[in-house]
Amino acid sequence: MIKIKNLSRYYQMGPTTVKAIDDIDLSIGGGEFVSIIGPSGSGKSTLMNIIGCLDSPTSGTYTLAGEETAALSKDMLAEIRNRHIGFVFQNFNLLPRESAVENVELPLIYAGVPVKERRQRALEILKRVDLEGREFHLPNELSGGQRQRVAIARALAVNPKILLADEPTGALDTKTGAQIMDLFRELQSEGVTLIMVTHDRDVAAQGKRIVEIRDGHILTDVPAEEWEK
Amino acid sequence: MKTFKFTESLKMSLRSITSNKIRSFLTALGVMIGVAAVITLVALGNGSQKAVETSLQSLGSNLLIVYSGQPKGPSLVRRNTTNIAPALSKDDLEFIKSLPESMVLHAAPESSASGQVKYGNTNTGATVVGTDTGYAAIRNFHPIYGSFFTQSDIDARKPVAVIGSQVYKDLFDSGFDPLGQKIRINGIGFKVIGIMEEKGSSSTDTQVFIPISTFQKYISGSSKYALINIQAANLETMRELQKFIEDELLHMHRIASMDAADFYIANQLDLLSTMEGVAGTFTLLLASIAAISLIVGGIGIMNIMLVAVTERTREIGIRMSLGAKSKDILSQFLTEAIILSVGGGLIGIFIGISAAYGANRFGGMASVISVQSILLAFGFAVITGLFFGGYPAYQASKLDPIEALRYE
Ligand SMILES: Nc1ncnc2c1ncn2[C@@H]1O[C@H](COP(=O)(O)OP(=O)(O)O)[C@@H](O)[C@H]1O
Ligand SMILES: [Mg+2]
Repeated sequence: MIKIKNLSRYYQMGPTTVKAIDDIDLSIGGGEFVSIIGPSGSGKSTLMNIIGCLDSPTSGTYTLAGEETAALSKDMLAEIRNRHIGFVFQNFNLLPRESAVENVELPLIYAGVPVKERRQRALEILKRVDLEGREFHLPNELSGGQRQRVAIARALAVNPKILLADEPTGALDTKTGAQIMDLFRELQSEGVTLIMVTHDRDVAAQGKRIVEIRDGHILTDVPAEEWEK
Repeated sequence: MKTFKFTESLKMSLRSITSNKIRSFLTALGVMIGVAAVITLVALGNGSQKAVETSLQSLGSNLLIVYSGQPKGPSLVRRNTTNIAPALSKDDLEFIKSLPESMVLHAAPESSASGQVKYGNTNTGATVVGTDTGYAAIRNFHPIYGSFFTQSDIDARKPVAVIGSQVYKDLFDSGFDPLGQKIRINGIGFKVIGIMEEKGSSSTDTQVFIPISTFQKYISGSSKYALINIQAANLETMRELQKFIEDELLHMHRIASMDAADFYIANQLDLLSTMEGVAGTFTLLLASIAAISLIVGGIGIMNIMLVAVTERTREIGIRMSLGAKSKDILSQFLTEAIILSVGGGLIGIFIGISAAYGANRFGGMASVISVQSILLAFGFAVITGLFFGGYPAYQASKLDPIEALRYE
């Protein structure tokens, strides 16, 4: 499903070049649950953004479902983000003035789903992430764990094939973090491809495959059973 | 591939507009004031233009006026004729009256003085005008009740008076029949024989007309006239007639040129075009002031929209990460700017019409609301929204999703 070859992403900061991702090769198949782990500044978010079609590589190729992304227009990339990729961020990224259900509806608006169907689907998904009764609360009326579940519901709203989570438990306590992880495992069992970034080794261990990166390079790439914490 | 609908932009925009009502109101206020200003000021400009035209038409048609004194230029429509030292003689008048009907229809002398008119114990100020029978026809100004004085009244120097409508209101109870009543003008007794029709202009309606002979005997003590009103036979040859009379009077007064003349002739055509020019310039001036305020309103919208885009950079990033395309973002912000300007414009139209109406109803100012100015102002408001909202919206749509998401 995901094929990355000789991929690099450099940032030019005045005279110096920051090699956030440096010549990475990575393939991820449909239905996998991959944990990407590495210290802060190692390039995890940069890699996620490229996989999520939010950013494009400086060099190398990224092929998503057989399509080379470099050949796609901005609008087509927006459409891929909308239909095939769900994003979950560390800081939730909810719109503060919209209620939970309205936040979940956002991707459906851009997908052109009619109003009634949209609302119905958003409510179903919120129920699915155990937020029944909280549908019309604003984000600041919800706890961190609840907010992250709204964000996950939003990411799932269009039934994406790939769910990308960048430090999804980073802002949560251990217990609510564990609930989120349970939800992820459940999703994976339903066939969603899950890629999760973390710097927490315990959280990473929940994945089925562990990719360790450091300074923009892949250090190890092993199944969870073979990984040494 | 389904596309993002306009109704969605509309909903989003209304949401963000209503979520910050005071700011939205202030943003739209600029356009509101601009549109209202255009409508009101153009209405007042048109009104004054119309008023000038009416007042010129009420002077009578094909009018030439020979004034005593040095030429003053044609700009004074209703000169204060009470200050003119009479310098025109009976010979001048007789000469003009002797011209064939193909040139001059009527001619009437006129002298005036300010006076106190008294009936019983009631007193009012008026302009006493001495003239002859031709006056009513020339100025197209007739008695509504009773009659004007006749040639025999003039020949006999009778103390009879035709009073202006305002003078009647000032002196008599409404409905009272004043015919035959004795009034005193500057202490001299006159019999009221008529009331003039109402022209709606205070300077016209506060006149009292008496025979010119009576005027000369009791009021001015001079045998000369301040001015001679002439009704030309036709409009096309008015300038030629004016030149002809000028030349003849110069000859009669033994004066070499108009530069040294003791009279001058005002031509209604000149007055009309001058006054219309002035009023037109006035309207244009008001319209430009109004247009400037509209532009200022537009800049207000642009300013607020730029702030809004910066403030909502993160929101834009989130929307983009969820699949919003550039044109979706563009449409959202542009719709917002257009709603603000159109909303402001509609309220502005309402305020503008009310203000123009109010100025007329309560401020006594002439105002003529023009549909063009409403359409123009509204069209301008929409364009303002598109133009001044377009740039910030474009900026928003061109944001890089990652940069926008990272924005704090
Ligand atoms: N927009 C950017 N401009 C400049 N440098 C950046 C930018 N984004 C990331 N970087 C740099 O790239 C490196 C990797 O960043 P990131 O992918 O965010 O790391 P991680 O998510 O693993 O903490 C860091 O050194 C960071 O400073
Ligand atoms: Mg990161």
